[in-house]
Amino acid sequence: MMTATHFAFFDEGSKKEIRRATLKAVAIPGYQVPFASREMPIARGWGTGGLQLTLSLIGTQDTLKVIDQGADESVNAVSIKKLVQETTGVDLTEQTEAATLIQSRHRIPEVTLTEDQILVLQVPTPEPLRKVEAREYVTKRLHAEDEYSGAWLMLFEQIMKYGKTATGADHPVFVNHRYVMAPSPIPRFDNPKMHQSEALILLGAGREKKIYAIPPYTDVASLAFEDYPFTVESFAGQHCHLCGAEDVFLDELIDEATGETYYQCNDTSYCMGRLNSGERQEVVHNHV
Amino acid sequence: MAMDQVHDLQQVYRKILHSMSHPGTISNLEPFAEKVDYDLPCYEATFLSAMTLLDAEVTFAIISENSQQLSTKLTAYTLAKSAPIHEADYIIVLQDALQQDIVEALQQCKIGNLIDPQFSSTWFLESSGIVNQAELLLTGPGIKDETELQIGLTKELWTTRNKRVKEYPLGIDLICLDNEANLVCVPRTTKIEILEVV
Repeated sequence: MMTATHFAFFDEGSKKEIRRATLKAVAIPGYQVPFASREMPIARGWGTGGLQLTLSLIGTQDTLKVIDQGADESVNAVSIKKLVQETTGVDLTEQTEAATLIQSRHRIPEVTLTEDQILVLQVPTPEPLRKVEAREYVTKRLHAEDEYSGAWLMLFEQIMKYGKTATGADHPVFVNHRYVMAPSPIPRFDNPKMHQSEALILLGAGREKKIYAIPPYTDVASLAFEDYPFTVESFAGQHCHLCGAEDVFLDELIDEATGETYYQCNDTSYCMGRLNSGERQEVVHNHV
Repeated sequence: MAMDQVHDLQQVYRKILHSMSHPGTISNLEPFAEKVDYDLPCYEATFLSAMTLLDAEVTFAIISENSQQLSTKLTAYTLAKSAPIHEADYIIVLQDALQQDIVEALQQCKIGNLIDPQFSSTWFLESSGIVNQAELLLTGPGIKDETELQIGLTKELWTTRNKRVKEYPLGIDLICLDNEANLVCVPRTTKIEILEVV
């Protein structure tokens, strides 16, 4: 027998605890607030932190969008969407503009978010200093003492080794001139979107039991050296082979038959939106 | 109609979260306040906020001439326990509280420590009226340029608050409420400049 779950899966006590941690996170931008991460019906490391935030936030009036590396239709996004919808009955959308709540794995949408939207990011490793210090006991003290030599040294070693900072994703940021923070594994391309963002950004790490936040209109700077400034991934001269978009984050694909490299928008709903509006213009142009 | 502890409190939480992430932005809880049919010596908005955030895992302290009645009821409804001011996670200041008591509590309350700045107190502060008028000038994270705010609290109170948040990330987060069910938040990151003598 299937028993009906409580609204938004959680009991009210769990929601309260997550809500309290979230408010503290907003009040201390970039600081990782510990919380009692609950067991979820998906495995830890598959977005449980983001999911718990979403469930604590969501109400019947919300419209939810879930993306996984830019795609609305990948397995992780779809299973999270289904779980939330089955336990809340909220509307789902793929359009970024129509969503009030956006849960995302590893991307910030191409469309600029607004003040009325909340972006929830899933985080595997919330601790930016973990690579230089394995002990949580010590990293907490390093944050307390504003001691971030480790983070700088990491970037410095990359420059020594590769001639540039070689962070693929999750390039550390400096939030509100105080905390060094892991922005979750978003590409460097998305880091600047966090600076003075209009939307509230909440980050949840379920396995590591941490919640942190970037309130709107908050200074977020990517760590960089004066002589090695921060750069984003460059797609100069390339465009999406479907919609022709430039200046967006592109996936590099290889045609198996010809061996040719081509590019495609990583944000699928953005690409779809552009294709659809192009189509409409074509119809209007040809038939009116 | 009675208050819905799942859906109404979810919306109250979102209002608090919106105001906490946009300091100085006034949210209104009127639709939910109307449903509060308990006889309580505090504003409906205060009660709604307490119901949203308090449970058996946290403690509270009430500053009021007559705190016993509310204290008993809050414990009954939320299972949160009352605690001395220097230990309380939530400090609830009612409209009839004496100025001297509030200032003393501000000086004594928890502000967290550098390793765990979240071990600080959150305040529910009842005020005579909240409007966006020139009295305080707010700047900081969550605020585009600057915001003006009038809460009807004394200058001494704000200067004491400013002293307590000086050593960021240590500090206190305020949730101010009025009788019209308006709600505004002033987290520790917000810089407050007093524009005129209150």
